Amino acid sequence: MVPIVYNLRSLAVRKTTTLATAGGVALVVFVFAAVLMLSEGVKRTLGRSGSDDIAIVLRDGSDAELSSGIEAPQIALITAPSEVKRRGGGAPDAAAEIVAVLSLDKVGTDGQSNAQIRGVPDDVMSFRPSVRLVAGRVPRPGADEAMIGNAIRGRFRGLDMGQSFEIRKNRNLTVVGVFEDGGSSYESEIWAGRDQVQSALGRGTVVSSVRVRLRSRDVFERYQRQLQSNRQLGVDVMRESDYYAKQSEGLSIFINALGILVAFFFSVGAVIGAMITMHASVANRSREIGTLRALGFKRWQILLCFLLESSILALVGGLLGAAASLSMALVRFPMVNFASWSEIVFTFEPTPGVIIASLVVAVLMGLVGGFLPAVRAARADVLSAIRA
Amino acid sequence: MSAEPIVKLSAVNKTYFRGSESIPVLDGLDFEVPDGAFQALMGPSGSGKSTLLHLIAGLDRPTKGSVQVAGKELSKMSDAELAAFRANHIGFIFQSYNLLPVLTAQENVELPLLLTKLGRGERKTRAQTALRVVGLEERMGHYPRQLSGGQEQRVAIARAIVNDPQILVADEPTGDLDRKSADDVLELLGRLNTELKKTIVMVTHDPAAAERATVTRHLNKGALQ
Ligand SMILES: Nc1ncnc2c1ncn2[C@@H]1O[C@H](COP(=O)(O)OP(=O)(O)OP(=O)(O)O)[C@@H](O)[C@H]1O
Ligand SMILES: [Mg+2]
Repeated sequence: MVPIVYNLRSLAVRKTTTLATAGGVALVVFVFAAVLMLSEGVKRTLGRSGSDDIAIVLRDGSDAELSSGIEAPQIALITAPSEVKRRGGGAPDAAAEIVAVLSLDKVGTDGQSNAQIRGVPDDVMSFRPSVRLVAGRVPRPGADEAMIGNAIRGRFRGLDMGQSFEIRKNRNLTVVGVFEDGGSSYESEIWAGRDQVQSALGRGTVVSSVRVRLRSRDVFERYQRQLQSNRQLGVDVMRESDYYAKQSEGLSIFINALGILVAFFFSVGAVIGAMITMHASVANRSREIGTLRALGFKRWQILLCFLLESSILALVGGLLGAAASLSMALVRFPMVNFASWSEIVFTFEPTPGVIIASLVVAVLMGLVGGFLPAVRAARADVLSAIRA
Repeated sequence: MSAEPIVKLSAVNKTYFRGSESIPVLDGLDFEVPDGAFQALMGPSGSGKSTLLHLIAGLDRPTKGSVQVAGKELSKMSDAELAAFRANHIGFIFQSYNLLPVLTAQENVELPLLLTKLGRGERKTRAQTALRVVGLEERMGHYPRQLSGGQEQRVAIARAIVNDPQILVADEPTGDLDRKSADDVLELLGRLNTELKKTIVMVTHDPAAAERATVTRHLNKGALQ
């Protein structure tokens, strides 16, 4: 084998072209890694919202809370089965909620955007123990008050402590609290009393969904069978974790497809860059190649040597790009979720899988770009190479 | 006395083709070198000296005829077989040294050993031994640009002998050197011939260089004189 120091030092000698070429690869890897990280972030944000010992009940045929409606009398039937966990006083550990979308003025732009509002029961904090107040207090029952998730705080006009926003024309809610929920999508929601939301939006007593905490995750199938076999009830039962996984699916696929498309077009440029660089480098080193061949190195060893060199070149770019993409972990990225048509703030989640995939892509670009120049080096005639 | 010559060319023809034009360089050449000889090859420019060396070294194949070196028939070998032959039997010394500029003296000398099964440590020892033979052991960490022309050529000679080949082939090895460095290189080749029993075929324009050899042969228009 031609020693790897030969490749490393040859790249180091051509510092400027090496860095320029690696920079092209770095850009592609940065885009690619950022997209994968965002897609991971979407899964993580929506995945955090769901747990597998909670069942979510929607109207039969609705695949999202927003399009679902359940009449008030049905709530008791949904929470009645023995699989549903009971609280101290015997009441079911459940939350019937209404979900709607508000169009609010965005801060920092002229436009409007959608934010999701959730009408929650008064005891919502005991149903969702992971939710934690970071400022203010919980809205008083019956008052025109709301609390907001930390992720949308300050993103819309009126969404900050002490400010107020219109839930409908001439009907204001005042923000009295800000909550956190470990980065889940709830942090992009507005929570107000269920009655306030129902009456303000003219929904009567209809709710969007009923969540029930099960005695254990294993009784889910039994609970589901029981509710779904009741035709008159007309509901769908899903594990909450599955529900959110499904919610993230479309967005995640969209991000991946878009990002990989963009990365692909960028990569054509980077591959051509690598090809030009390696081509020039091979032409400049014709005598060295001829010398190696004269010493007894075979054509395939020359081929391998230059493929290795372009892979190293691309890997340098890959490492730079992947390192730069880690900085995206600090960025919060608001995006409209297709399932709710409202903005959710996502983060970029760097995972080892994303970094490995990015480096593999970098090396592949190096191999593709380096292939023709390496073939040219391997095919050169020994004597003409030495003479050149 | 070994009867078999180590180099034996019989009825060798070498013709270059440039488009429709054919340039016959060697035509019906018979050429033998006995084992252990140190022969100088002289002749006017364009007479085919380098062409002949390349055939002996397995860097090229004859158009017609037979080239036998170290008991092997080279004219029918594939590219890969010729590469293996060069690695095992030939040490080639170029006029312009042809050291790889990004490798140190020791790394350059080690190159041919990378084609063997030798381990790292053994390769290093052998490269250092070869550098000691050419008197440059203390320069092993230097890059070619940090060496004089004469030193570069001695490193190239160390690289040519590190695999312990039977035959050294040198094409104007002193062509780029001043008198003093040239004499050092010639003295070294002489020692390699007498002490290490290397067969040496050396093309040269320099009569002083030819004097070092035990035999001087003249090539003119592709024919020996
Ligand atoms: N690849 C080639 N294609 C065409 N003609 C060639 C080629 N190589 C050598 N020749 C021709 O063959 C002839 C002999 O060349 P060669 O290099 O063997 O001469 P030489 O004796 O070594 O000359 P010099 O002393 O100048 O090195 C020359 O006329 C040269 O132009
Ligand atoms: Mg010549």
